[in-house]
Amino acid sequence: MTWSRRHSQLTTATAPRLWERWTNAAYWQLDDPGVAWAQIDGPLTAGTTGVVKEHGTPVQRIEFTRVEHERAMDFVIRLPLATLTVTHDMEPAGEGLRATHGVVLDGPLHRLYAAVLGGRLARRLPLVVRNVTAGALKR
Amino acid sequence: MTDSVDVDVVVVGAGLSGLAAARGLQRHGLSVKVFEALDRVGGRVGSATVAEAHVDLGGTFVGPDHDRINALADEVGVGRCLTHEAGDNLLLWRKDRKRYRGALLPIGATSLLDLARIRSSLERMSRRIPVGRPWSAPDAAGLDAQTLGTWLTARHAGQAAKDLLAVVCKTSWGCEPSEISLLHVLHYIAQAGGLDPMLDTRGGAQEQHFVEGAHEVAVRVARALGPDTVRLGSPVLRIDRSDDAVTVHTDDGLTTARRVVVAVPPAMRHRIRFVPALPAAHRHLAQRWSPGVLSKIYAVYDTPFWREQGLSGMTISDEGPVFITFDAGSPDTSRGVLLGFIGGDYAREWDAVDAAERRVRALSALADLFGERALTPRGYIDQRWGEEDWLGGGPTAAPGPGAVASLHARLTEPVGPVHWAGTETARRWAGFMDGAVAAGERAAREIAVELTATPEEKARRCTPEEKARR
Repeated sequence: MTWSRRHSQLTTATAPRLWERWTNAAYWQLDDPGVAWAQIDGPLTAGTTGVVKEHGTPVQRIEFTRVEHERAMDFVIRLPLATLTVTHDMEPAGEGLRATHGVVLDGPLHRLYAAVLGGRLARRLPLVVRNVTAGALKR
Repeated sequence: MTDSVDVDVVVVGAGLSGLAAARGLQRHGLSVKVFEALDRVGGRVGSATVAEAHVDLGGTFVGPDHDRINALADEVGVGRCLTHEAGDNLLLWRKDRKRYRGALLPIGATSLLDLARIRSSLERMSRRIPVGRPWSAPDAAGLDAQTLGTWLTARHAGQAAKDLLAVVCKTSWGCEPSEISLLHVLHYIAQAGGLDPMLDTRGGAQEQHFVEGAHEVAVRVARALGPDTVRLGSPVLRIDRSDDAVTVHTDDGLTTARRVVVAVPPAMRHRIRFVPALPAAHRHLAQRWSPGVLSKIYAVYDTPFWREQGLSGMTISDEGPVFITFDAGSPDTSRGVLLGFIGGDYAREWDAVDAAERRVRALSALADLFGERALTPRGYIDQRWGEEDWLGGGPTAAPGPGAVASLHARLTEPVGPVHWAGTETARRWAGFMDGAVAAGERAAREIAVELTATPEEKARRCTPEEKARR
């Protein structure tokens, strides 16, 4: 009952820098060309809420469901009869870190949303991962 | 022949085109001096040895129709070998990794039909573009007012066709479809004889590569020109011209000549101060025919492990940064050699990060295609042509909309004693090594006719284009 896509990339960026890039909403519009602006309501823990405004769509409420310091961070957007989860993971690998971003659709209408949104969301993943890691390398 | 000048002809640029020009001029009995800004010959061809495997850092492949570069390589004794293509190709597409053989990409029937429709339109339109004279095509200005990207949108191309044409664009010109003139794309297809000769491996422009490397051709041609003919590390800063002579300025001093061949990428013409200034259209050409951005990576392994999996090493990916790969192993090594291309927007991002990050990103992309073994090569090297000071990018110029119909004719039009070469100035296979050699030979022929031929001989020895220009 789910549809998911993920993209991984190795990077020499450090875990703290990558984590900062993920958890500071001011960076989201720089790293994801689809995002107009975003805001997180307060300190980041599981259950923290926020909003994301994508270009051409209404503001969406988000809720963080997994926050593991310098390791993983997920948030969900609740859609009518479906849930979109945006996942972020990092782990040591080879000469650096493996950064993985993913999107997961579940719920009764997940197939419909996958057909309507899935391709666009999946196509954006590699670019967003490259932007995030490039941003994390800058000081 | 030399009389009151230092040499008959100065050649600016020791790439394949400049060297071919110098060789041709010497064969006509003219004295030549070649000035090269870089500390090596070859221009947009280069080489390196990585984990005992030879790799081409620049121009690599030749096809059966590339008669000028192949003839030159034969003359200087550089051999060719077939590009490895036995086995299945891979397509990493929409997060799925699919094997395929032949030209039918596994992108689904609807997308394939759409791609065939778009290809067919491009081929049909390209057949209306006169080779070497794109400005004289029907509605040239209208075609030049569009980019390949805007045309794809106007034709309601599907996302798959758009993405695959972006792969072609990145590989061929180092740019995105939204950046390049549709007229230029059509002319490029026309001068290659169609999309298949341009893009294919077997029977196409990627069929073979040089055993000792393309750079070795340049090295041997330069050596054959004789001692002190080619001066390296000597950028030409200024060219003064009169009706029948030039004075070429370098940091080392002045050299006078009866003619000069400027064999540098069009955008690099702007780095030279011409006195008096070039005509306006020639100056605009130098400003508007900027190069694309294409980088290359090589990963060298103990063995070509992908062949054990029945893979050819030829892949296409819609993820980047490495978006197309080849098995570039030569018969003289047991090593496995993967060549990957990074072009257009991918290259602009990737070129900007440091060497360690470039390496892990490239290997990460190879691992997505070939598995975790790709992460641990015995050797690795990358080449960012966009970072080369005196070249500015590669593989060739990528003129935007409006820069072809009005300016293409200026690529080869001499300005007094100043003649032009470089692969972009070739009539056929412009942008390829074959075009570079052909353009150099054409420039040499133009000058030889002017300096050595009787009026009757001049009329007889001119090509139709040269006659038309005269």
